[in-house]
Amino acid sequence: MAHSTGSVTHLERHHAHHFKTAHEEFEACKQGMWIFLVTEVLFFAGMFMAYAVLRVLYPDMMKAAHQLLDWKKGALNTVILITSSLTMALAVSAAQRGEKQKIIRYLWMTLICAGGFMVVKYFEYAHKIHEHILPGALYQYKELTMAKVPLFLSVYFVMTGIHGLHVLIGMGVIYWLIRRASRNEFGPSYFTPVEITGLYWHFVDLVWIYLFPLLYLVS
Amino acid sequence: MSDQHQNHQHHILSNSMAFRIFGALIVLTVVTVGVAQIDLGALNFTVAMLVASVKASLVCMFFMGLKYDHKENTVIFSTSVIFMAIFMILTFGDLLTRGDVYVKDLSKIIPDGAVAASNQSKYEKPWVSNDELVSAGKTLYTSACVTCHGAEGQGNGPAAAGLNPKPRNFTAGEGWKNGRKPSQIFVTLTKGLNAMPAFGTLSGDDRWALVHYVRTLGPHAGEVDGAEDLAKAGVGAGGAGAAEKSIPVGVAIDLLSEPAGKPSEN
Repeated sequence: MAHSTGSVTHLERHHAHHFKTAHEEFEACKQGMWIFLVTEVLFFAGMFMAYAVLRVLYPDMMKAAHQLLDWKKGALNTVILITSSLTMALAVSAAQRGEKQKIIRYLWMTLICAGGFMVVKYFEYAHKIHEHILPGALYQYKELTMAKVPLFLSVYFVMTGIHGLHVLIGMGVIYWLIRRASRNEFGPSYFTPVEITGLYWHFVDLVWIYLFPLLYLVS
Repeated sequence: MSDQHQNHQHHILSNSMAFRIFGALIVLTVVTVGVAQIDLGALNFTVAMLVASVKASLVCMFFMGLKYDHKENTVIFSTSVIFMAIFMILTFGDLLTRGDVYVKDLSKIIPDGAVAASNQSKYEKPWVSNDELVSAGKTLYTSACVTCHGAEGQGNGPAAAGLNPKPRNFTAGEGWKNGRKPSQIFVTLTKGLNAMPAFGTLSGDDRWALVHYVRTLGPHAGEVDGAEDLAKAGVGAGGAGAAEKSIPVGVAIDLLSEPAGKPSEN
């Protein structure tokens, strides 16, 4: 009963016994991921709220402090993440069609984009640490001595740090998918892990879509 | 098993559609950056958030497949947005309507060590009883203490039934846990005892007033405070005992953002 819709056949997998059908299992898994993403939105909501409160209380400080960030690196990372969302979507479609080589190729491209994102992030962080553009009392940057600027950096490091952690976790999961895909585990009748990792990955992109203009382009 | 799949065909996002969405997202990113270079005043923020939301919707509908999915998942995900909106409305409802609270409280809290005017005692020695304090204490007692300590001060107010140990019976001369000198009662009031909460947020004079009133309920007490007792109660010469320092959010933010101990001029 192996499928041969695509270029290769993939391994047969029987759905877990507590589901009536494979389709039911797929829908349940996907819904579980959506519910998890709800908790993720609320998790980030607290940080976005901290940002919003600072912006309302200290608009001038926020405007001055955002110039400490390099919007070009932020924009580059936006493009990188959008590209990784595209390749992730292509990987899901390839899995649905059972095109093993394409699944693997698109997943690698996604992983490379994610790595690229982290490299850019590394350069941003390294520069800030080197110049002492840091939160709280660690802030020792002489070019901008405006009051409360360290608060902006607290928000910046916490938000981008937690987002970066999501990227790192996503990279681990995508690598695991590549391993499974090379064992022929995914195809038209079973691609649940690719689908729900895709949802997670697009969510990571979603958060950055808001973070980029809020942190880098305050005006 | 394949039959099941025929009945529930999964939507497969075509590659050309995926590329079109990608193109739209890139164009919108360019728009975001472009608009940020032009000064539109308050509009900048609105435009940036609108564009971000259009991008987010494209990602949700196509890449995440909500457009082709059961409505259920859209509803589930939308709840998070609704709750985020509630979160925002409540937070800003609070934040934006407490502006003058900050200003009022600032004078109480800063500068450190200086007890602000409202806590300065009206009396030269508030720890020594006088008629005015006793009558003020009676009023306060009626509003804040009777539920537990009772109208006669016998520790038998309506709320006392559920308490163990029972509230202090002020008519008894003996058994006061912290002692019955004014300064000792003052400390009990300030810090609380057993089920009784701390009343440290009352002004010093209010606490002294209560002290002198409850002392009138029992047998005449001869004990008087020495300088040592007063020092123990944290009362300096001329001071009434500062009301506890409560720090409003704005002040906490100020303190957090100070670079190592220097007060800010902002």
